[in-house]
Amino acid sequence: MVLYDSSTLAGSISGSSSSSSKPPPFPLQREQQQDIDGHLAGAGYKVRSSELRKVAQRLERLETAMVNSPADLSQLASDTIHYNPSDLASWVDSLLSEFALNPTCPYEFVTDPVTNRTVVNDSWTTTATNMPLVHQDVSYEEQSLNNKLPIVTAMEEDSGIRLVHMLMTCAECVQCGDFTLATSFLEDMQGLLTQINTVCGIGKVAGHFIDALSRRIFQGIGGGSIDGGSAFENEILYHHFYEACPYLKFAHFTANQAILEAFVGHECVHVVDFNLMHGLQWPALIQALALRPGGPPLLRLTGIGPPSPDGRDSLREIGLRLAELARSVNVRFAFRGVAASRLEDVKPWMLQVNPKESVAVNSIMQLHRLLGSGPNRNSPIETVLSWIRSLNPKIMTVVEQEANHNQPGFLDRFTEALHYYSTMFDSLEACSVQPDKALAEIYIQREITNVVSCEGSARVERHEPLAKWRTRLSGAGFRPLHLGSNAYKQASMLLTLFSAEGYSVEENDGCLTLGWHNRPLIAASAWQAVPDAPAEFPAPDTHRPS
Amino acid sequence: MVQNHHRGCHRQDHHGTVGENKEKRPKFFINDHVDILIEILKRLDCRSLCVAASVCRLWCTIARYDSLWENLCFRHVSPPPSSVRSVVLALGGYKRLYMGCVRPVRSRLGRIRKASWARDEVQLSLSLFCVDYYERLGGGGNSNGRLVGESSPSSLRFLCKPVNV
Repeated sequence: MVLYDSSTLAGSISGSSSSSSKPPPFPLQREQQQDIDGHLAGAGYKVRSSELRKVAQRLERLETAMVNSPADLSQLASDTIHYNPSDLASWVDSLLSEFALNPTCPYEFVTDPVTNRTVVNDSWTTTATNMPLVHQDVSYEEQSLNNKLPIVTAMEEDSGIRLVHMLMTCAECVQCGDFTLATSFLEDMQGLLTQINTVCGIGKVAGHFIDALSRRIFQGIGGGSIDGGSAFENEILYHHFYEACPYLKFAHFTANQAILEAFVGHECVHVVDFNLMHGLQWPALIQALALRPGGPPLLRLTGIGPPSPDGRDSLREIGLRLAELARSVNVRFAFRGVAASRLEDVKPWMLQVNPKESVAVNSIMQLHRLLGSGPNRNSPIETVLSWIRSLNPKIMTVVEQEANHNQPGFLDRFTEALHYYSTMFDSLEACSVQPDKALAEIYIQREITNVVSCEGSARVERHEPLAKWRTRLSGAGFRPLHLGSNAYKQASMLLTLFSAEGYSVEENDGCLTLGWHNRPLIAASAWQAVPDAPAEFPAPDTHRPS
Repeated sequence: MVQNHHRGCHRQDHHGTVGENKEKRPKFFINDHVDILIEILKRLDCRSLCVAASVCRLWCTIARYDSLWENLCFRHVSPPPSSVRSVVLALGGYKRLYMGCVRPVRSRLGRIRKASWARDEVQLSLSLFCVDYYERLGGGGNSNGRLVGESSPSSLRFLCKPVNV
């Protein structure tokens, strides 16, 4: 086995970049002046900032090669020649060269998003001369095509990155109104999609965004058939989303814990649920109330939901099921269903709140739908928040997506949505149960389509981050309630039960957020109506009744 | 421990049937003392209890007693309030609670076991159990086939998934 001398390899790396036949375009010329990366230098490794991605890819390949060929590994381990690992680039190259299996990817090119368009259809063996290539690994390229390791090749990675660049550029064209250029980008992206793996990773998310963009361009901004999907379909998709990932379970359990704690000592309680769906949140609350010290209270539940077509009273059916459960565990229970297709159509008298009972309002991802403002009306959020406040609830639990999808600028919204939903799809990858996963993806895809391709009153997925909700709710006369350590403990335990390792619960000033790899995706908070008059318009000498 | 009991039974039987010791009656046959048997089986772990259930018909009947599984569920926890029993029995019984919820919850959380979490584990298991009962209600009782996609309760499916290490 030929062992490369690390010095010659290092020489070849820097040598080839300066001795390639064509003068390299701007990214490579700067390479010579770029410094060693500061962070890695602190750890003792000398890697050029420009080579970071390349070295990272090679390290991944090395890992895969080591995993796939343990025989070679033992040979490697028995050699006593140690390369200098502080020169990380050459070290990993020399180790890679000692493996019999050759990595598949021939290219590591620096992509220029504008000129990329001309090389989309090139096959692997042609090295387009107008592309800035760095020919580090000539030997790998020649033998690579026969051995295919089952990893995401760097080619795919770069196609993925190119796809993302194209998506952004296309979105920018849409924002400027240049639909012709946007359409041509769409075609290129469709072509690029065939080259990468669309079953997972960036390809899948990009596919959904491309669909949403084309819907926006070709069908116009009111055309989203999101609400056209029947309520029945929505419920099924919601249920599978509930099964596939922990976001809804986290929402339900956290809200239940907060409601349970708020109802301590109260004997007559009334919960208003803004979106009943299958009522999956409530069995756990009923059971917890049944077992609370002092015995269960009288529980009333008012469930709001869309009217069901063809005469079936789905709300009542859910109510009956919950009532049967409550009867089994000896909790006095009463259910009322309020059918309304939009939350702003609900009036407080429909809820029939008894003044002697303690009220809890539960909103799981519903408040953001009220943020849209039409041409001749203000956003209904103010009205709804004020009547909630007039009910004087003991607690209002609010769970919302932690994302900023309500910005006026389309490109900002698009970028934010791309990051958010990529993370969410990543987390969904960890779910291995079908059909939950596939249907959960359709559920998320509907959200994506609504965020990207709809405007005005058709766009209901107007997510706002926790900070904005805090301001809004404080301004409407609510004060925050801290969720407490029990809720945090329960959320952590719940997450541990899900087999994926990337979920994290964080506490954010009394609110809990659930995220994937430190990117918060959903935030749960609790609020209470401030007993005094709201501070928006402080009347100097009159005392307005609450 | 179960195997010893089993062999103990056999030994006594053997002594009983072989003619040479027929004046000496067997001193102790566990199946005659069901209360002691229950006390012993109460302290077994889940796997041993399931093995015990295949010993003989009496043991099988006893191993199905819910009170044994109640002990299993609350083994590491200080005695639960008495109201828990009626709730659990209404929701499907302790054996179902253990097999469906407590066991997978405990094994998953065992990876990062904190001693103070034992009680919370049980509470979480109870909540999940209740959701499961609710779904079972829906599957059987709905004539319209409205929830047609959920012929089997699926809220606990995530507990059955193999754990990614």
